[in-house]
Amino acid sequence: MANLMQRSLPLTTTRTPVLQFLRFRGKINIQRPKEPHYERARVVAVTQPKYPELPKARSCFQTRAERTKEQLENPYNEIIAREVRNWLNHSQLVAIFHLNSITADEIFRVRVQLHKQNLHLKSYGRKIIDQAVTGTPYEAIMPLFHSNHCIVFSPNQQQIGALLKITRRVPQMVLLGGIVEKTLLSRNELMAYAQMPNLQGAQAQLVQTLNLAAGQLVQHLQTHQANLVQVLDVHAKGNGDTNTNTTETADES
Amino acid sequence: MSVPFSGTLRRSGGIVSAIGKQLKSINLKGVKRITVQFDPFAENVKSTREFFFLLSTPKVIQTNPKCVVKSDIVCDRQAASIKFALIDSAQEQAKVKEIRFNSGNLNTLELLELCNKHVSSLAPPEEVTNKVLTKAEKQKLGGGSKKALKKK
Repeated sequence: MANLMQRSLPLTTTRTPVLQFLRFRGKINIQRPKEPHYERARVVAVTQPKYPELPKARSCFQTRAERTKEQLENPYNEIIAREVRNWLNHSQLVAIFHLNSITADEIFRVRVQLHKQNLHLKSYGRKIIDQAVTGTPYEAIMPLFHSNHCIVFSPNQQQIGALLKITRRVPQMVLLGGIVEKTLLSRNELMAYAQMPNLQGAQAQLVQTLNLAAGQLVQHLQTHQANLVQVLDVHAKGNGDTNTNTTETADES
Repeated sequence: MSVPFSGTLRRSGGIVSAIGKQLKSINLKGVKRITVQFDPFAENVKSTREFFFLLSTPKVIQTNPKCVVKSDIVCDRQAASIKFALIDSAQEQAKVKEIRFNSGNLNTLELLELCNKHVSSLAPPEEVTNKVLTKAEKQKLGGGSKKALKKK
């Protein structure tokens, strides 16, 4: 009703239509649009946007320059390098292996077995290890990472035996070298280190070696007395036997 | 006058596809043992280690599951080498007992190419067993057991 009342000049008002048509459930058609009327098509053609084309000569060498310029380094690499440095500083035992083709299942099984012994299996890219290790005392391990590798960290250097035992069962992991108590060791040296007795055993060996000279001297001084005592013992025993034999025969008789 | 065509019609896929192509034609049937020896701290062992890795892939191992690939890590700065110990028929064919590659100055692709040239060619030819059984032959083979079942 208010829509139909004329309050201003004709043709100056805007009116919402009396009937508004609503789509219900029908699918709209956008795949086969109707060809526009000539007038409409003319307006559409005129109003199409025209974009300015970049002059190719100016950008001809820019793409090559973009490709060949120094790539921006991802700051995440710095974080991972810090993690590597952390692991290296806080592990008493670091063993580096060459890794051959291995299934994820098998490497997981190895990882679990190592984890039970408090040994941590890790692998990082060469660039990150390079970033982590250049300038530190660990720079010498760089040549080991040129090919497929993995690293095992342990806070306790006594675990070397357990580590070798587990990795002996895995033919794809080949021990290359390691760091024990900040000392770089080759493969053979690591195996020898694993065969060494623990600290108490080594101390006992040292004590034995120190006492060896004095012990030998004492032994030399005491040999003759000891021999005499032994011979007397045997003699006494022999006499004792004959005495008991004679007493027994006397009793019988 | 136009210049006659020169150049390639297809671009090469790079070193990685060349390595892949060589790997496809590798055959270790004529080898009974491979020993890869290197010093891990030496400078030019990258190609030896990569070759070692490629030899351990399942596809290459499948060509001869009996062939053992062993590694020998040394620490006296010896040159890197790869030794292929041949089986008897291959030894007769090549008149040598084993083939040794000094891999210090070779890259991975060259190692694979040499391996294909010298080692894969010594593989004994496969015996083709493509006999297709006819229905009658199949029945003959399994016929006895089937007849017994039918009687029951």
